[in-house]
Amino acid sequence: MKRMIALLRREFWENKGAFRTTPLVIGGIYIAFLLMAIFTTAHIDDDLYTFREAVHVLAGRPAEFRGMIMYQSMLGSSVFFTVVMSFVIFFYLLGSLYDDRKDRSILFWKSLPASDTLTVASKLLSAMFIIPVFFLAITVLTHIIMAVIGSLMVLGVDGNPWTLFLSVSSPLKAWGMIAASYFAQSIWALPLYGWLMLVSAFAPRVPLLFATLPPLVFAVLQTWIEFLRTFTLKNNLMGLIGEWLFNSPAILTAEVHDGEGGIALGIPLTKDFDHAVTLANMIDRLFSTQMLIGLIVAAVFLTTALWLRHRAAES
Amino acid sequence: MNPVISARGLTKRYGRTMAVDHIDIDIPPGRIVGLIGPNGAGKTTALKAILGLATFEGELSVLGKNPARDRAALMEDVCFIADVAVLPRWIRVWQLIDLTEQIHPRFSRETCLEYLSHTKVTPEHKVKQLSKGMVAQLHLALVMAIDARLLVLDEPTLGLDILYRKQFYTNLLNDYFDEQRTILITTHQVEEVEHILTDLLFIQDGKIALEATMEEVQERYVELMASAQQAEQARSLKPMFERVLFGRHIFLYDNADRAQLAELGELHTPSVADLFVATMQEDQS
Repeated sequence: MKRMIALLRREFWENKGAFRTTPLVIGGIYIAFLLMAIFTTAHIDDDLYTFREAVHVLAGRPAEFRGMIMYQSMLGSSVFFTVVMSFVIFFYLLGSLYDDRKDRSILFWKSLPASDTLTVASKLLSAMFIIPVFFLAITVLTHIIMAVIGSLMVLGVDGNPWTLFLSVSSPLKAWGMIAASYFAQSIWALPLYGWLMLVSAFAPRVPLLFATLPPLVFAVLQTWIEFLRTFTLKNNLMGLIGEWLFNSPAILTAEVHDGEGGIALGIPLTKDFDHAVTLANMIDRLFSTQMLIGLIVAAVFLTTALWLRHRAAES
Repeated sequence: MNPVISARGLTKRYGRTMAVDHIDIDIPPGRIVGLIGPNGAGKTTALKAILGLATFEGELSVLGKNPARDRAALMEDVCFIADVAVLPRWIRVWQLIDLTEQIHPRFSRETCLEYLSHTKVTPEHKVKQLSKGMVAQLHLALVMAIDARLLVLDEPTLGLDILYRKQFYTNLLNDYFDEQRTILITTHQVEEVEHILTDLLFIQDGKIALEATMEEVQERYVELMASAQQAEQARSLKPMFERVLFGRHIFLYDNADRAQLAELGELHTPSVADLFVATMQEDQS
């Protein structure tokens, strides 16, 4: 346990920029945009007349409506964090078993009494839990800072932020939902994580190419052979990967049309699942046939990655 | 006493080439063994097998463990420095010390800091900010702070200047080595280590060419420096090797009659480097 914590700290030290600075920058962007919006409004709006009116109108709407707006915008604003986090995890895993082979520091790591299994596990756990926890914590921090700025604005036009939006919102529910979606996504994404670690363990150079080219070539060949056989274009590997993305339990879709919040799990293009943001729907994905097959694929990838890691210092 | 390293028929193939070819070794505790061989002789391959970094055929036991299977457990008692530049470049010195302390049960932070206090390395330094020599000092400080039973050094002073190299071996000998510990060194700088070695292990084409203690070497081998006139006579006594230096003929003998040789010229104990060259040439002919 002590060794595992030490190895997790190592992953953080090595990847501070990706784990901590990246979400901080996203939070900074949100706050900067909010402040810019405020200054723009203050600049063109005499005595904040329009803003004052807007607060007044909003205060006249039912509490449930205001609560819903708050909830939807909290979930919606997490999407930016989530998408960037996916990239962070992607590149983190791609380098996880590659970088120390490249700079030969693997010879130092292997001189420590930590098994290869523990090392590989620490990297997978970082991707599944440590990175999401950082992004989640900084999402929460960003929400709080934005709420404080919003409250000051409302106070500035003699409104009451507490009755207007603070008391009607349910932050814990929103944050809990984001957290649940992150951890559901960590399990859902295991086949991808396994693939990236496998590539990271064997690629002699440019792991990005080794990660993306084989599936692409495979999909193209598959499509071509299928077309020669049947003269139709049916499901291939890319279709499978697309389906996996659309059905993801992460909150990936945020849009507002006709006054309805369009917050959804994954991307609601297929009808395999209900895409509403609920815990039940997340659990639904984790107990699907798709997930079961995914877990088997992930186990194969991870076992192979571990086997390669075991032999990584040979030449 | 049980040997620290014991190998029977240790073999490693890379495709058709035999990097290590049915080697038998026994290294008892309390020795400093020099594993010496030309490039590509199989030194590093043998070390990798011993350290659990490579698979192998044959039997190999290091401190009673099978290194290929129990690397992690073995590393509690074995330390190694595989040439100079393997410390991760992004890490800070204090992080490295923290990490080693948490992962290594026999690491002493105090000892490590004590060694580092004699160097210019500070806890806030990143490894990439340190010079090659300082990285070697840091790595040695980490390793000497671990109470291990076997220390394996693979070209530990490669690329260091002569001051660092001298100091490296001085520290090792004065502050680290004792009867309980075994050190296994490979290096091309034979002259630097020959005074600290207790045992020699020459390896050539994956096979052991010579296995002897330094005392045995002194007893068995003798170097004769003879003038040109006596060269013919010296040659008839079957030297292993002959070379010419400033018009003088130098012969190296294995198990020769010293009294007989003494009549032909001056006798010396050969240096490890000369013995090495002679052994390698002899095996090739």
